[in-house]
Amino acid sequence: MTDKKDPKATSQASVVPAATASTSAAANASKTGPPPQKTLTNKELKELKKKEKAAKRAAAKAAHGGANPDQQHDQHGKSNNNNNKSQKPKTASQLKKQMNSAKIKDTDVKIPAMFSHLETREQRIAASPTVASIVHPSILALTLKISTYKVVGSSTRCQSMLEAFKDVITSYKTPEGTSLQRHLTSHLSHQIEYLKTGRPLSVSMGNAIRWLKQKISQIPIEMSDEDAKVQLKEDIDLFIQEKILYSGKVITQFASGHIQNNSKILTYGHSEVLKKLFKYCAIEENKSFDIYIVDSKPLFEGKKLAKELSSVKNIKCHYNLITSLSSVLERSSIDFCFLGANSMLSNGRLYSRVGTALVAMSSKNKSIPVLVCCESIKFSDKVQLDSVTLNELGDADDMINTKPFNKTGFNLQQYLNNLEAKKVEEQNGAGKKGQQQQQQSKKEKDDKLLQSSQKNEETLSNWKDYPSLNILNVLYDLTPPEYIQKIITEVGALPPSSVPVILREYKSIT
Amino acid sequence: MSSASHVAAQKLDILVDTFISKLKRRQITGSYKIATETCQFLMRVISTSRWSTPQEFIQLIRKVGQRIQEAQPREFVTGNVVRRVLAIIRDEVNGTGDSLNNANVNNGAPSAPVDTSMFQLLSTVNTSSSTNLAIKENTRGQNDLRSVVIQGIRELSDEISSVNENIEAMTVDLIHENEVLLTPTPGSGTVLNFLLKASLKRKFTVLVTESYPNDIEECHLFAKKLAEANIETVIIPDSTVFAVMSRVGKVLIGARSVFANGGCVSNAGVAAVCECAKEHRTPVFAVAGLYKFSPTYPFDKDSLIEVGNSGKVMPFEDSDLVGKCEVTNPVFDYVIPEHIDIYITNMYVYFFLFINLFFQFIST
Repeated sequence: MTDKKDPKATSQASVVPAATASTSAAANASKTGPPPQKTLTNKELKELKKKEKAAKRAAAKAAHGGANPDQQHDQHGKSNNNNNKSQKPKTASQLKKQMNSAKIKDTDVKIPAMFSHLETREQRIAASPTVASIVHPSILALTLKISTYKVVGSSTRCQSMLEAFKDVITSYKTPEGTSLQRHLTSHLSHQIEYLKTGRPLSVSMGNAIRWLKQKISQIPIEMSDEDAKVQLKEDIDLFIQEKILYSGKVITQFASGHIQNNSKILTYGHSEVLKKLFKYCAIEENKSFDIYIVDSKPLFEGKKLAKELSSVKNIKCHYNLITSLSSVLERSSIDFCFLGANSMLSNGRLYSRVGTALVAMSSKNKSIPVLVCCESIKFSDKVQLDSVTLNELGDADDMINTKPFNKTGFNLQQYLNNLEAKKVEEQNGAGKKGQQQQQQSKKEKDDKLLQSSQKNEETLSNWKDYPSLNILNVLYDLTPPEYIQKIITEVGALPPSSVPVILREYKSIT
Repeated sequence: MSSASHVAAQKLDILVDTFISKLKRRQITGSYKIATETCQFLMRVISTSRWSTPQEFIQLIRKVGQRIQEAQPREFVTGNVVRRVLAIIRDEVNGTGDSLNNANVNNGAPSAPVDTSMFQLLSTVNTSSSTNLAIKENTRGQNDLRSVVIQGIRELSDEISSVNENIEAMTVDLIHENEVLLTPTPGSGTVLNFLLKASLKRKFTVLVTESYPNDIEECHLFAKKLAEANIETVIIPDSTVFAVMSRVGKVLIGARSVFANGGCVSNAGVAAVCECAKEHRTPVFAVAGLYKFSPTYPFDKDSLIEVGNSGKVMPFEDSDLVGKCEVTNPVFDYVIPEHIDIYITNMYVYFFLFINLFFQFIST
């Protein structure tokens, strides 16, 4: 495949995952907009496979009841391919096989060697194709928001996901020949598979999903579908209340004792629980204190917290970037450091936004107590020793922009790239061969790059052209337990070594 | 005679004032530039100055030195250069005009000159009056002194400009094959040279922190230059330092100024990186030319750290936050001596506990 062998034709390569990302077309890149002038052997094989599967499905469709095609998902307007395929719910293993065949090793994605075992966004997106047609629109919207970091943060994502699940359950109709208890779980699994393509699930989301699936399987057989759905939605509401909202309140109660009048608090990034805590102390308990917010690229979550807290009367906000951390600690005598968590691991380590470990270490070295506020839903029985073996890779291009962070969704970006490619082809006329088109667009791209590289602003807009240059953007890091004084959860305050105890408790409750 | 000296004094004043305003307006920034400009400036001062005794000469240079140090108080290089020049002059005056002493002191060579100059320090107490009389009468002696000193300053200037070449020579011994290096100071030309020279003999990977918001442009240029030299480069955000530190073999920083206790001032964020390296027992190397070494002691750390444009940290686009939050943007960071394992200079490789040895030859 020319686009794989020619690393310069990035636009071509990006067309490939675009096609796979576009609705339920199987991995057949040649089927995007322009007529397939490039017939390549791999793709021909894939086409054949698709036709065979289509035949199989058509045969099986008669036996099975109709699926739940809620809406033809029409992301790009290129969904004419979908009509060829039947919309039948497949078993999980079939889906997995299809997705694995659909995954394309995008050789243009550049990751530093140290982290090359982690999955990039492109690979995640490439896994999405066939499922898209049966995905509920709330889930689609949520995935888009999550992947563009509009909905960010462990508790927030969990809550939004559960709300979206309520919508899914509302519009769910059990197909004939199966019961709600058995089928709803697999239906939800498809939705979850699609959610995963936005960003990997966090531990809190994983725990919530496990709980939900358990709840579904516990519904009595006699109950009618309508009643079952109502019951499930109530349960979800209760879960959100208990595990997220009220837990936050209890944690606030426990932790507010630490914040006195005129104390100085250090915090990093943005955490829902901590925001509630600070607001509670300032508004309800009427304490006045100083908050030092430390922030970092690329997400700048601290700004969100600063916006919320700066409007509160009793709080004086200070905002700094992480490079000025040691100056802040040196100048102001901080009393406490409060940190939020993505999850707590079984070996007492804190898995949280990248940069937390640096803040915790610096605080510890200046004898500032580090307190972590974390709901019990975020506890995980995973064990991890360093931040490299298991992490989440973000988009490398987010680091290049020195301007404010404004992310377009991956699919939208692909669509725009395709539009550009189409324009180029139309300009060249219909008769030209694919090669020449490629060269043309490549030349134009090179010209553009030359112009942009002459500009001083974005010196690295063409960073992908340098084979030895890489950009690292990981989202999480691991804080060793030695730096953490106390973990405050809704079941009490405990030292980091007691995380497995809570897990045992938590499992016994559910 | 007095009117001539008046004119000369005026010329001197103009010269000094121009240079000081240049410094105050930050028309000259960066240790290297300032050092070379100060050398040029001092050469001119010495040629236009009028004095009757060498003691007066020394006083004159000291006064000028104090004034230019105050022009950019956080840039210690001016003071360092003036001190070196004073050392040249003093050796010239005390050491009966021996070129040997001059050359040795300029190059910071070991013990012999130290002994002789200290010895002579004690002995000049007796002979100073006689030498004074001798020189008072001899204006040609004055000119000799002048030309020798100017020669000394030229050598100093050459030393400053050859800092990078000399440091490069030490690279090969310090980096091994397939190593992962971390450098949090992408703005340092010395570090860049160091790495480029080392890449000729060794294959390694360099992680560069972004130093957002102050040095991010420089970081990108730095990374580009390294990539063009086919060195594996990875740009990492400042927050990721702890996450990758366990995989890093060495940390390489460029120091802005080094103090008598072995601590140094560098870019913002470097202190945290060095602390992190200490936790992981990763060696930290600091590269700095000898002209950055200052015999002052950092009593007040706050005064060392310059504060920059808060608008870079929180741009005015976040208008609802701008008025309500305290935003600071410290440009520098002080690194304590315990966090730095070794200073690599153009003359020697120093460990911070023994830095005072160096200052013995330089400060008087």
